[in-house]
Amino acid sequence: MMDDVRADLLTAIDGAWTRLGSPGEWLTASEKVGIAAETRAAMACPACSTRRQALSPEHEVGPHSGVSGLSPEIVDVVHRIRTDADRLTLNWFTRIVPRCLSEERYVETVGIIAEVTAVDGFYAALGIELRELPAPVSGSPGGVRSNAAKPNGAWVPTVSPEDIGADAPSVVQAMYRNRSAANIHRALSLVPTAMNGFFELDDAMYLPDAKLREFGIEPRAITHAQIELLAARVSALNRCLY
Amino acid sequence: MDSGVPQGRLLLTFAEEACAGSSLLPKARVAVAEAMGQDALVDAAAVIGIFQAVVKIADATGIPLEDAKAEASAEFRAELGLNAFSGE
Repeated sequence: MMDDVRADLLTAIDGAWTRLGSPGEWLTASEKVGIAAETRAAMACPACSTRRQALSPEHEVGPHSGVSGLSPEIVDVVHRIRTDADRLTLNWFTRIVPRCLSEERYVETVGIIAEVTAVDGFYAALGIELRELPAPVSGSPGGVRSNAAKPNGAWVPTVSPEDIGADAPSVVQAMYRNRSAANIHRALSLVPTAMNGFFELDDAMYLPDAKLREFGIEPRAITHAQIELLAARVSALNRCLY
Repeated sequence: MDSGVPQGRLLLTFAEEACAGSSLLPKARVAVAEAMGQDALVDAAAVIGIFQAVVKIADATGIPLEDAKAEASAEFRAELGLNAFSGE
């Protein structure tokens, strides 16, 4: 089955796994791989299943079946985002950030959960055994933050393209080079490598921004209309307003 | 309801079974591959995978709907009950 996968898509998935196994900006590689492992473990976690069925996401459940050695609070954050994201609230977020996680570590965590969810979702849809998680590479986090980030209507600070100065690091300059300023692009912009990494994967799995409205050219084996039908249905099944 | 998109029903069924992790997923996968080809199956699976992730980013960061999108979609969001998905 993997023989049928486009080369650019395979490259993007390889890139996601290389990033996952490498030190991040605010998380070590071990923490990142631990978050990835918890992203997977959440899908079979009895506590998550109980909470998902409860009337309220505040329903007390037993301990998660964690697999990573991360703190119970971080495990809960990862499991909630993986299994109950549509019921996250600003009230929940303000209890977590910055007490348990700094804004930067939270955003980087969301990016990891998203990349693993995307790749695992792809493999699962094709009926392929999930890819083994990478071994973490030693090293210290880089600590690059978008200093232009500010409150912009989201729970986390985000960067507007017009606020990126000419002297900003290249990784910051790259964020909107080929992308619109849509809020979904801004969401991870506090941590530029998280944003750039996720949307490199998105370009290969969905469509690059420049091709979104090129309706006369179909770059995939399914049409724009078929792509958008799938995107809308998956978003609705996940009860996502955005 | 017919989406009006060619092979729409097959693709929707594939997406629904994939998101549910259903035992009917293999059947849906074969149906897409037979009707549309292996490359189409791969591209459909990729869209299903990435949008399961995009929604996590949107929900976990609390990004608002852009004003222009909110205005343009107000009628059908109300009609389809999508406003109930808000995390507020």
